Amino acid sequence: MSATQTATREQWVAAREELLTREKELTRMEDELARRRRELPRVRMEKGYTLQTADGPMTLAELFDGRSQLAIYHFMFGPSYSAGCPTNSSIADSIDGLIPHLMARDVTMICVSRAPIEKLLAYQQRMGWSFNWASSYESDFNLDFGMSFSEESIRESLASRLNELPRIAHQNAASSGTDIFGYLSEMFGFNTFALEDGAVYHCYSTTGRGVEFVMGYYPILDRMPKGRDEGRDFQTWLRRHDEYESEIR
Amino acid sequence: MTGHEAGTREEWLKARIELLAAEKEHTRRADELARQRQELPWVRIEKQYRFQTDEGQSSLANLFRGRSQLMIYHFMFSPDYTAGCPSCSAIADGFNGSIAHLANHDVMLWAVSRAPLEKLQAYKQRMGWTFPWASAFGSDFNYDFGSSHTEEQLQSGATQDNFTIDMRPMLAAPEDSPWVQRIARASGVDWPTYMQEAPGLSAFALRDGIVYHTYSAYRRGIDAIWGMYPWLDRSPHGRNETHPWWRRHDEYDAG
Repeated sequence: MSATQTATREQWVAAREELLTREKELTRMEDELARRRRELPRVRMEKGYTLQTADGPMTLAELFDGRSQLAIYHFMFGPSYSAGCPTNSSIADSIDGLIPHLMARDVTMICVSRAPIEKLLAYQQRMGWSFNWASSYESDFNLDFGMSFSEESIRESLASRLNELPRIAHQNAASSGTDIFGYLSEMFGFNTFALEDGAVYHCYSTTGRGVEFVMGYYPILDRMPKGRDEGRDFQTWLRRHDEYESEIR
Repeated sequence: MTGHEAGTREEWLKARIELLAAEKEHTRRADELARQRQELPWVRIEKQYRFQTDEGQSSLANLFRGRSQLMIYHFMFSPDYTAGCPSCSAIADGFNGSIAHLANHDVMLWAVSRAPLEKLQAYKQRMGWTFPWASAFGSDFNYDFGSSHTEEQLQSGATQDNFTIDMRPMLAAPEDSPWVQRIARASGVDWPTYMQEAPGLSAFALRDGIVYHTYSAYRRGIDAIWGMYPWLDRSPHGRNETHPWWRRHDEYDAG
């Protein structure tokens, strides 16, 4: 930040207009990606799933709650966790306010985790969120969609690579009251489904940096003088919103 | 959606992996743009701006609250409006959840509007938000940063929103257009009065006690923080819109 040149307003506008051209290209690229996502073939779901919710057991079709589109954020909160993952909690902070607008566009947004429903509901109350949170504790749903793994398989695949993991994985594991294997038995990701004539279709799936769109602070940081300012230790600055030491003002 | 091809898991996976390559290219381009934004020159702010806040009168430097970076969302709410703009309200529903995280990563995010502070406070309470909101009532701030325009500016086409854009074609929206009906009337004003405000983002840096303007964005440049759109861009129907459908979160019909 310190090396930045200062300029007159006119010089800034000239540089900004040049950048605007590239920003517009990216916006058009995003529109094109959105179109291509809608053109993906859909896969009819033959297997039935029943998840636990605050209102009792619900099938995948029932989770649409009367709408034709279902968006699921897979929130990392496994049976061995004592609290939800802090990074996933910051994501939930970003999405909770959007629910009424998504509903108005025929989209029901929910979160799904593998911890038992009682744990999810207690943590949800602590954090003050209102989205519907379903548990796949007794369902294969998360396993089938590659969003949960058995602890044995994680132990086997990670044991020799533990020091290659980013620091945030260890930090979040400790903060979630579990060990690294328990923590990484859960995955974060996003899946969408469509309901048509009573049949459920799987439409879209993403994980990794593909879920940055649900991390509301990143698009803002990407427009700030210091950018994300996190480097290799990405996300290690994130805490649960009730765990920051500093007040907002 | 009707008539959409159903495929096998293998067909889906093949198409998804192809799309992933395009998505990754987009992510890298977005990273590159973020880097280029940081290379923009900074403009020293010479003018003294005064804002009204919950804690009293504040300078621009004071809005940083001990951080070195400040993001302003120019929220459309002029002294004539009886309620905040519904579009800006939907945007605020998104960033309201991120302010605690940003404030702990050296970024203060404020909304700034021209309406008097009491109006902003009452509306903020109605909507249940917690982000800090400053009034620029009587200040040139929103005019200088391209998010408020005088009637003369609008009529002459000399508006600065998106740097140089003539908004006269938009001003001519017919009285029965859904924009006028749903967005301007919902804010308690007619279309020309509504259009005196524009949504925008402006970023500032504080260094050695001096405030610098670093970045501004308008129009689709703020899509990225309009939280519902990235979701719709990944939903089966997409944005699926031909006219403004959104309302304030407490104004949707039940169900």
